[in-house]
Amino acid sequence: MNETAQDQDTGFHTEDMTISVGPQHPSTHGVLRFVVKTDGEVISEAIPDVGYLHRSIEKIGEKVTWHGYVPYTDRADYLAAMFANQVFCMAAEKLAGTPVTRRGEFCRVIACELNRLASHLISVGTFGQDIGAMTPFVHALRERETINNLMEEICGARLTYNYIRIGGVGYDILPETCTRISEFLDHFEPIVDEFNRLLTGNKIFIERLAGIAVVSKEDALQYNLVGPNLRGAGIKWDIRRDIPYSVYPELEFEIPVGTGHIGALGDSFDRYWVRIRELQESCKIVRQCLKMLPKGPAISKVARKFKPAAGECYVRVEAPRGDMGFYVISDGSEYPYRVRIRTGSYTAMSIIDKLSKGIMLADLIVLIGSLDVDAPEIDR
Amino acid sequence: MQAYLDQLIQGGAFAGMPREVVYAIGMLLAAFIVLSAFVAPLAGVTSWLERRVWARMQSRVGPNRVGPQGILQWLADGIKNLLKEDIIPTAADKKLFSLAPYIVFMGFLCAFVVIPFGGHLIVADLNIGILYILAVTSLVVVGILMAGWASNNKWSLLGGMRSAAQIISYEIPAGVSVLMIVFLAGTLSMQGIIKGQGWAPWDWYLFHNPFTFAGFFLYFTAALAEGNRTPFDIPEAESELVAGYVTEYSGMRFLFFFFAEWGNLYVIGAVATTLFLGGWQVPPLAIFENSPMLLAVAQFVTFFLKAYLWVFVAMWIRATLPRVRVDQLMSLCWKYMVPLSFICLLGTVAFMFVPADGQRITSAAMFGLGVAITIIFFLRVGFQIRQAKPELYFKPHI
Amino acid sequence: MGVASYIKDITDTVKSVFEGMSITFSHLVRRPMTIQYPDKIPVPIQETLPLRYRGILEVDLDICTGCLACERVCPITCITIGIDMNKETKQRDFSHFDIDICKCMYCGLCSEVCPTGSIRHSQEFEGASYNPAGLVRHFAPQPASLYKPKKGGETDPKLAVKVDIGQKYLDEFATPDGGAAAEEK
Repeated sequence: MNETAQDQDTGFHTEDMTISVGPQHPSTHGVLRFVVKTDGEVISEAIPDVGYLHRSIEKIGEKVTWHGYVPYTDRADYLAAMFANQVFCMAAEKLAGTPVTRRGEFCRVIACELNRLASHLISVGTFGQDIGAMTPFVHALRERETINNLMEEICGARLTYNYIRIGGVGYDILPETCTRISEFLDHFEPIVDEFNRLLTGNKIFIERLAGIAVVSKEDALQYNLVGPNLRGAGIKWDIRRDIPYSVYPELEFEIPVGTGHIGALGDSFDRYWVRIRELQESCKIVRQCLKMLPKGPAISKVARKFKPAAGECYVRVEAPRGDMGFYVISDGSEYPYRVRIRTGSYTAMSIIDKLSKGIMLADLIVLIGSLDVDAPEIDR
Repeated sequence: MQAYLDQLIQGGAFAGMPREVVYAIGMLLAAFIVLSAFVAPLAGVTSWLERRVWARMQSRVGPNRVGPQGILQWLADGIKNLLKEDIIPTAADKKLFSLAPYIVFMGFLCAFVVIPFGGHLIVADLNIGILYILAVTSLVVVGILMAGWASNNKWSLLGGMRSAAQIISYEIPAGVSVLMIVFLAGTLSMQGIIKGQGWAPWDWYLFHNPFTFAGFFLYFTAALAEGNRTPFDIPEAESELVAGYVTEYSGMRFLFFFFAEWGNLYVIGAVATTLFLGGWQVPPLAIFENSPMLLAVAQFVTFFLKAYLWVFVAMWIRATLPRVRVDQLMSLCWKYMVPLSFICLLGTVAFMFVPADGQRITSAAMFGLGVAITIIFFLRVGFQIRQAKPELYFKPHI
Repeated sequence: MGVASYIKDITDTVKSVFEGMSITFSHLVRRPMTIQYPDKIPVPIQETLPLRYRGILEVDLDICTGCLACERVCPITCITIGIDMNKETKQRDFSHFDIDICKCMYCGLCSEVCPTGSIRHSQEFEGASYNPAGLVRHFAPQPASLYKPKKGGETDPKLAVKVDIGQKYLDEFATPDGGAAAEEK
């Protein structure tokens, strides 16, 4: 509807309302802020305001040792700490030429994929909650709690793992833990189906998601969307397959992409559906790794005083929120010279302004949830 | 009520007092008893029960510390809210802001005047009973709109506006569904509608014909929307509007809104029971003929259980469904529910010309359908449990 | 909007609501997940934690060699150790050994570098205090002497027990050889 024309017809003077969504708002997943201009409920502009969770993680990297920086990378994205661990360690290994033991690589993949499960569960669960379905949220968190318990067994922490170290992993995965992981997967896969029956198949849920905030392929590339957001737009791009690292080339898994079978290609439902299918794919990967887990040491010999050769490198992994990259410069000293972190949520934030024009306030919440932006990852 | 007071006056209990004063005192007393002995504990316990039911559906435990199994949680919450600071924002319209909770509260409380508790237990059996309920429950929208406007907060305003649009729209399918039963019963009186039905399920208006069967669900959906319950809780949608029209409220005023919400649940259930589920009708057993007291208790229990079943269903729906968007809410109402309710109304009117034998057969068939749906439902529950292979735990407490 | 899609919308809604409600209803007979910490649990929660759990740091000063490896490796400098020369005994003593639990991020690096397993993560996590100063753990309230590992094993039976505990912790928690230890089992 043309608002100005209506104004001329009725003679009423109308003006936009400016609302501050956040930084303390129930569905901004941390501390995001949007300055939203609305006409009633219809948004004309939503400007993201970032920086509420800035912790100078990049600068800290210049002040602590290579080994000591690993626990800090946990905090870059606390929902998926394992990936930041891994990518920093990969960067350090690349600079120093440190080999990673084979068992270490498998332990890394197991831990990372479990962490991906946990992160995606949070994502789809809170997405349900944003739309008003409380029960799926708690069910997702219930499953995540089991994953956290497994993580506690593997590495002793539930959220900030500091598990992946330069040269391998800190602690070996014990055989009894392997059994418990496969027991969990047996229990988890039917639960994903149940989750789909409860939430994904729900007509109200579909109506809320389908056709909302459609990202075209061009936009996805232009705005540099990564991970499930990019795949939701129908582009088959996954670092695990396209720039292979670790032992992923040996594993069989599919890369789910958005199909647009409900609504339009690249809408919120596609992004959500990619995540749900990635849950199932991650289960498959963990199962394969448990089967293939070789014997041997979990970490190779690395000097306590780790001093990689001077140089620089950029390493990326496929984190739950997409391509996570660390650009690390070494000057040959005990400390990294510069660390730069590239995360998926930051670019996902930038497209919100474009997508939010003309949608309703309730849809903005859907949009934020479907892009799975995560405040700690944006600000670092 | 009036008849009973007349009896007392004739017996000389209130010698020297004008009749009107006696009536007024009687009415106030009745209101006080209903409010303090029934409505307040009911709303409170409903809030506790909702949290427990909800928790179990979410694999949690829920409040279980205050009193046995947490049953006094509502008292603790109430006291906490009473002791909290009552904040009125500086920019708020103070008079309207203070008044709004009471109007909402009054809107739902007035409905209890005509809600029957048993065959003779009713504050006033108005001959326009159901019309009166539709009228006074609309008062809630005034209160909510007032709260939204007076808070001088954009979230509150959006919430208030949403609520106004929603409640006014859903009056229509609710009203038309009620009209169906009024046609069948030929009366607007609550007791009259109940007396038009029998104790047996196949004598209920729910199973009278396919149209009333559908009309019941239309009524229940519309009533949920009027009561701002999920999936229609958009006025206070906490993930969108922070807390909607209650954003700026605190302490006792805040409590009043939720008191009204949980009390309103019972009103929804009670009206549904009256209209469709045979109200307080009990089987004509021999023991009831001898003892009117026992009969009253049985009627009260029957009515209460039937009404509370729908309170439970509302909790259950809230635990299951996501929330609709505001424009979808409107299209659901105007595109789906309003046409369907009119079809049901016409169908019911047409059905009144079916001979009595045909009506009996239809009732039996509809009752069979209801039973079949219930059986299918429980089979499906069994399927869900087999799929997930959870650890079973049948006790209600933990 | 055709009649078919209109009817399909209605049936889809009814079906999916029915399905969802059957799932939530089935949860009424499933066991809740909640652990009713801290009182309604069969065993203290600390006992149920896995061996590798990284709780509040504890130090067994009797077997601490004063090598300062933990102080150096700590990325957040929450460990401060002071070592003085005792003028009477002509030996080096701890003047203080403080761990600031406020700062600690439970990364586990200190307990891994410890040669004797003297500094280690306990299963304890309940460390509430009324002020930040209360969260600084002083492990050497009085000056204490450093531990000197003896060649050929510890002879003092009291210390031998503690050395064994430390070694066991090192073996089980920080397993640098990874799979080898598990393989032997």
